[in-house]
Amino acid sequence: MGTRVDNTSVLEAKLQHVIAEPIIEIKHLVKSFGENKVLKDFNLTLHSGENVVVLGKSGCGKSVLIKCIVGLLKYEGGSIEVYGNEVATLSQKQLDELRAKIGFVFQSSALYDSMTVCENLEFALRRHGKKFSKKGKRIGLARSLVLKPQIMLYDEPTTGLDPITAREISNLMLNMQLKYRTSSIIISHDMHCAQMTADKMAVMIDGICYAEGTFDELNKIQDPKVKAFFE
Amino acid sequence: MKNKQVTSKEPFSWMPKEVIAFFKETGELTSFGTRFFREILFPPYEFKEVIRQCYQIGNKSLGLVGVTAFIIGLVLALQSRPTLVDFGAEAWLPKMVGVSIIREIGPVITALICAGKIGSSIGAELGSMRVTEQIDAMEVSGTNPFKYIVVSRIIATTLMIPVLVVIGDAIALYGAFLAVKMKGAVSFTLYFHQVFESLEYSDVMPSFIKSFFFGFAIGLVGCFKGYFSKKGTEGVGKSANSAVVVASLLIFIIDLIAVQVTGFLGLI
Repeated sequence: MGTRVDNTSVLEAKLQHVIAEPIIEIKHLVKSFGENKVLKDFNLTLHSGENVVVLGKSGCGKSVLIKCIVGLLKYEGGSIEVYGNEVATLSQKQLDELRAKIGFVFQSSALYDSMTVCENLEFALRRHGKKFSKKGKRIGLARSLVLKPQIMLYDEPTTGLDPITAREISNLMLNMQLKYRTSSIIISHDMHCAQMTADKMAVMIDGICYAEGTFDELNKIQDPKVKAFFE
Repeated sequence: MKNKQVTSKEPFSWMPKEVIAFFKETGELTSFGTRFFREILFPPYEFKEVIRQCYQIGNKSLGLVGVTAFIIGLVLALQSRPTLVDFGAEAWLPKMVGVSIIREIGPVITALICAGKIGSSIGAELGSMRVTEQIDAMEVSGTNPFKYIVVSRIIATTLMIPVLVVIGDAIALYGAFLAVKMKGAVSFTLYFHQVFESLEYSDVMPSFIKSFFFGFAIGLVGCFKGYFSKKGTEGVGKSANSAVVVASLLIFIIDLIAVQVTGFLGLI
């Protein structure tokens, strides 16, 4: 069975999760690049232990959204609160402390190609004054998971992968949620991945959160813009 | 109405775009250099990365610098000899070659070769790191990418170019010795005795000092072009290419300033 998670155990575990306080609250977010307004009035809330999948067309600003959350991009309007802290007002030190709690999986993996896989994993640990133990570690674990973050941000984690590997990655994301009780925002347009991993889904259209709900709820919506993703 | 607004907001809108872009880039490069001096003062210090970069830059450029310096020394001596023979000043050849190589040719040629090899390599490496989001990943993992990537490389080029210049000078002088030896009877000891006899403190030190500036310029420009590389493979190519062009131009400008300064101080 490998890393595959049994569906019943997933449901049981999810029932045990008491969705409590919001971890990330995004309100009226505005971000533009020159004349191009990418995010116009985006709202989203991520609760503790929850997996939220953000769906949207390519280039609609999904990756911009999660880069704003970790402070890689500055936004012009609205607010992003992570654990009650407004990201835009944090000092560099506070931002680094916050980032230590967040794992970010980039679309292109963004592995340091001048280093070996092992060195890639060690790099993140060394930066936080921890030692890397090779014992019992699977070298294939993503660098961003090494620090056991509380929040995971995945930028199209299954894009460009074959269906089997994509399913394994989706299972890995579920395992992360269950084992480490992480809360995740998953940027994707892979509907199989979304169906497997999402507790809640948000459809981003024209820079706003156009529709929000579970996979089944959104699947029943008759709006052609939302329906287009499920066809 | 609209035109009035544009004029009041952009006072230099009458200037050609290229001129504005030039001043903008010069400003950004200056700001980038200022940030380097700010970052270098405060911990954490990336000693391990600096040493790794010194090895990469020094060791990997040594072969090319050595071969080029050898050929330059050889050709310089071979081409200068006939003219000196015409004037009956053949005995001056070691002195002339020594002063030329140590004062000017050695540092400038070595720096230009390093601008081509190291500058383009840094520009392309950082450019591809930017494009593949490695720099963003570093920032997210709590590492200051400027300190880890940029500061370490600029320190390494600033330290290693003078070392390469010294080695290049020595090899070029040896190349010139072989050329002299081919055409006439001169011993190794006599040749180098004549070379060093002609050299003064004011010949060696200014050229050694300016090679630190050459190294700094190569590292700074390479890092600047790569760090702000535009998206895509075309952006990486442009970063590498413009790193070489701008660094080479800066080397000549620094050389010109160095000559004026040494002249002003009476060292010429």
